[in-house]
Amino acid sequence: MNRALSLLRRRLLTSLPVFLIVIVGSFLLLEAAPGDAVDAYLVSVGGDAGLAAQLRHEWGLDRSAWARFLTFATALVHGDLGWSVAFARPIRDVILERLPNTLLLMGAATALSFGLGSLLGIVAGARPGSICDRVLSVASLAIYAVPGFWLGLVLIVVFSIELRWLPLGGIETIASSRSGLDRGLDIARHLVLPVAALGFIYLALYLRVMRAGMAEVWRMDFVLALRARGLPQSRIVIAHVARNALLPLVTLLGLQSASMLGGSVVIESVFAVPGIGRLAHEAVAARDVPLLLGIILSSAILVIVVNFLVDIVYAALDPRVGASEERA
Amino acid sequence: MTILNISRRGLLGGAAAAGALAALPIPAFAQQARRGGRLVVAADSEPRNLNPAIVASNGVFFVSSKVVEPLAEATFDGLEGRLATAWEGSADGLSVTFTLREGVNWHDGRPFTSADVAFSALEVWKKLQNLGRVVFKDLEAVDTPDDHTAIFRFARPTPFQLIRNALPALTAVVPRHLYEGTDIAANPANTAPIGTGPFRFAEHKAGEYYRLTRNEAYWGKGVPYLDEIIYRVLPDRAAAAGAIEADEIQLAAFSAVPLADLDRISKVPGVEVVTTGYEALTYQLVVEINHRRKELADLNVRRAIARAIDKDFVVKTIFLGYAVAATGPVPKNDAQFYTADVPQYAFDLAKANALLDEAGYARGANGKRFALKLLPAPYFNETRQFGDYLRQALAEVGIDATIVNNDAAAHQKAVYTDHDFDIAVAPPVFRGDPAISTTILVQSGIPDGVPFSNQGGYANAEIDAVIEKAAGTLDETARIGLYHDFQKLVATDLPLINVAEWGFTTVKRSSVKNVANNPRWAVSNWADVWLDA
Amino acid sequence: MTRRLFSTPEGIAGTAILALLALAALAAPMLFPRDPLSIAGPSLLPPFHDPAHILGTDRLGRDVLAGLFHGARVSLAVGIAAAAAALFVGAVVGTIAGFAGGFVDEALMRVAEAFQIVPGFLLTLAFVSIAGPSLPVVVAAIALGAWTGPARVARAEVLSIRERDHVAASRVVGMHPLEIALREVMPNALPPVMALSSVIVAGAVLTEAALSFLGLGDPNRVTWGAMIAEGRAVLRSAPYLSIIPGIALVVAVVGVYLFGEGVVEASASRRRYQ
Repeated sequence: MNRALSLLRRRLLTSLPVFLIVIVGSFLLLEAAPGDAVDAYLVSVGGDAGLAAQLRHEWGLDRSAWARFLTFATALVHGDLGWSVAFARPIRDVILERLPNTLLLMGAATALSFGLGSLLGIVAGARPGSICDRVLSVASLAIYAVPGFWLGLVLIVVFSIELRWLPLGGIETIASSRSGLDRGLDIARHLVLPVAALGFIYLALYLRVMRAGMAEVWRMDFVLALRARGLPQSRIVIAHVARNALLPLVTLLGLQSASMLGGSVVIESVFAVPGIGRLAHEAVAARDVPLLLGIILSSAILVIVVNFLVDIVYAALDPRVGASEERA
Repeated sequence: MTILNISRRGLLGGAAAAGALAALPIPAFAQQARRGGRLVVAADSEPRNLNPAIVASNGVFFVSSKVVEPLAEATFDGLEGRLATAWEGSADGLSVTFTLREGVNWHDGRPFTSADVAFSALEVWKKLQNLGRVVFKDLEAVDTPDDHTAIFRFARPTPFQLIRNALPALTAVVPRHLYEGTDIAANPANTAPIGTGPFRFAEHKAGEYYRLTRNEAYWGKGVPYLDEIIYRVLPDRAAAAGAIEADEIQLAAFSAVPLADLDRISKVPGVEVVTTGYEALTYQLVVEINHRRKELADLNVRRAIARAIDKDFVVKTIFLGYAVAATGPVPKNDAQFYTADVPQYAFDLAKANALLDEAGYARGANGKRFALKLLPAPYFNETRQFGDYLRQALAEVGIDATIVNNDAAAHQKAVYTDHDFDIAVAPPVFRGDPAISTTILVQSGIPDGVPFSNQGGYANAEIDAVIEKAAGTLDETARIGLYHDFQKLVATDLPLINVAEWGFTTVKRSSVKNVANNPRWAVSNWADVWLDA
Repeated sequence: MTRRLFSTPEGIAGTAILALLALAALAAPMLFPRDPLSIAGPSLLPPFHDPAHILGTDRLGRDVLAGLFHGARVSLAVGIAAAAAALFVGAVVGTIAGFAGGFVDEALMRVAEAFQIVPGFLLTLAFVSIAGPSLPVVVAAIALGAWTGPARVARAEVLSIRERDHVAASRVVGMHPLEIALREVMPNALPPVMALSSVIVAGAVLTEAALSFLGLGDPNRVTWGAMIAEGRAVLRSAPYLSIIPGIALVVAVVGVYLFGEGVVEASASRRRYQ
């Protein structure tokens, strides 16, 4: 455990230059935006140039970009993400309040797409070229090709409005003062539909990689040898072919974490889940530059941590890779 | 039904009903109101500043009007006292005397007095409020001879009519003891307001909901009926309809349910569509024009554009009939100021083409006369759809418009600060008096950056003179006459083109009672709203 | 190659779908010469009710079938342009990094890593909000989130190719390193990079739809994504408005994928027999 922690620390340290690029790049990008936080605020409030100038001064937006960047960077070095003008709260609090919801959503959606995807991939890859294989391939692709927001809306219409089985949005029953297991179950019920919508989209990727991997393994000599030894088909499929094909899937898991975070922007909007994907959209709309930087930074850290965990799992599955070895 | 009600009333005793009648008249045939329950309503945005004394906008009022009260509220036939019980203007237009309600306490228990009104008027409405800065600009002092009298003193004669019309939207009173000596714009009470209203502000969970709870010590007898109001944040515009059908929310105001869905949802059992209750919240669909463009500075071109717009199509197809065609800058449903006696521009493509030819902008080889940059305001589905329509309508007469699709912040900056547009689509609100938020749309000399104002570089000395004269005219008939002139001048010279006027719709569960019983219902205090079991 | 492409069912189906789409895109201006965004009839006409509007009309009375055909043009153009841009940038960056090595490689790969750890859609969203939604911006934004994959693959290929004989020979002949990189190495590194194109095209079409959902589409052009996003407001009263372009989108994405798969398989079998 300690070794893993020190490895993680090393990984984060070597990522420092990358972080720097991310921060400077995002800052420059947002700097080019038409309209600043004051313009965004005045949309709802109204007010003249005098008020705008006063607000710009109060929010520190009348200083040069360089000065604002220095303030942001200095605070960041001290572990402070700064102040959100859109929420009138510290950015750290705003993000930490929403991060768990996104983690839950992403974690569950990843589990669903990985679990179901690899399972169906095994079914499809057990007999490459069969009807079952082709149907699964095309069906999963078709789901992948449905825009996430539309899939979400259809799920809502069917399961929340017509059948009334599940709540249509939010992370939990509002202001219900539930606690403990009761609250956990409540949250789980609320997450079923968004997790399904997000998970089903990525399912196709796992299914296809699993299937393709298995198709490769089938061609290998050792499988022929196993067959020659008369091992039952099911045993070959599961214990040998699928197991070997699982490795690329684990790598994909790490790669997909960033993509899924992006996908959560839309899903969180459709299902009114207060997560950081939706927060990012709100931050862009409010031109809250420090908040958006904070979100980008935390999602970058999240992606690095996920990839690190994936590496550990990979090492555990594949004896050829030692955990001490740093893979880029 | 009636018999059942009478027997229920007999059983429960008439005390609560009688008390409610004293404060808020309920039609005699109304069902017996039931106390208790939680009303969940849809909210599509989360205003950062919830102080209605600073931010006089419907988005803020929707939540805060239940917490912070104005001096008076609009009714279908005039005004009804809230924190003031009587108001009287002097003949010289230099003072207005308000008699304030007695026995009112703030949510934190402190008594409400004339000092609160004086403070709110001088320090907040006049100095900080988006609309108050115009209407109360000449307010010099507020005398408080006793705790329940406030006398507003103006430096220049100010029409009492204007002050009266401004009462519902501009006079939310905030507690002096929490604001005095602080940075008012940054006061924590702006995000968790404390007022005198029927509901207290309980909490805001960002991204999820606002919660208001019953003010047990409210001055209105027997009200409010509801225990709680929850504003549930639904960021996707398509979500409210489903949430009502699934009974997860009971009410969606401000047309949160798309107009195209109303016909279907009105047939769902237990769901009702209400199209009243917005009479004093009329939104106007307006084409803003940048007069710095030489083509658009030509009156013939503006008249051609007016004639190229099929208002009938806009009303029938974009608003599905939930709007009326506009004739000028004052909406038809305003009984005080509206006049139909203005130049009209009927939809006529031949005439529009002829006007453009006459102006010297003949069609080029590709059939196009000139190109324009069109910026539809992103705030409503209807303003965007009208933008799509306008592009097509202009194409019919050879004007090649390109739509620039900005989000709210970029639109704000492009139109009102940088003037980087040729034509824009805006949804200004008419607030009961042209001097509150309407004349500013065409008046010259407004500094850059003021949203919903004349930023098109238009200047017309005649119109400016009428606006100026009306601002100091005390005689109500004469003032109305001046605004008739104003409407005529605007419709003649077309500094902007008024296309349509619309009120919103409310979709609710049948269990929600006393909805739309005043012309500003969505932004009124909801003290008498109740839920049938 | 072509024969091999048609030897797999994926290849046949994919090619057929893509050919059909290309035909639709090319025929659009001939079949529907009017601006597909122009108001052609009464609004919200259901499909198969009026022979003049076979697939019905939308909220403003625009013809759905015309939108579908012109949408094929724009959606495919967005997908192909975004993929081309991403592949081009990725291939160039990857080639330079792999060929130059040392500090240049290190720096370029750090930049690529920076793009990889930031969720692509977040970047696209921010970029489009800032630059304003128009088709070129949408294309650039999608490419911005998609070039790192090709860059990595290209770099890995280059690393293995640059030690091969013909590259060494060019070096001996005294060719400029940049010329070697672009003329000798890059063409050979391209095929595996191209294999990513189907994924990127499909992803680009979907990203465009998601942007439209968030109100960041180009309102002057009709795309399938924008049609679906607009139709969602009337999902219950007029479901066909989002289902029809939705089917088109699914068919197109599946077609692109199958075609890509067919090509990969065909080239793999070619290599095997080489």
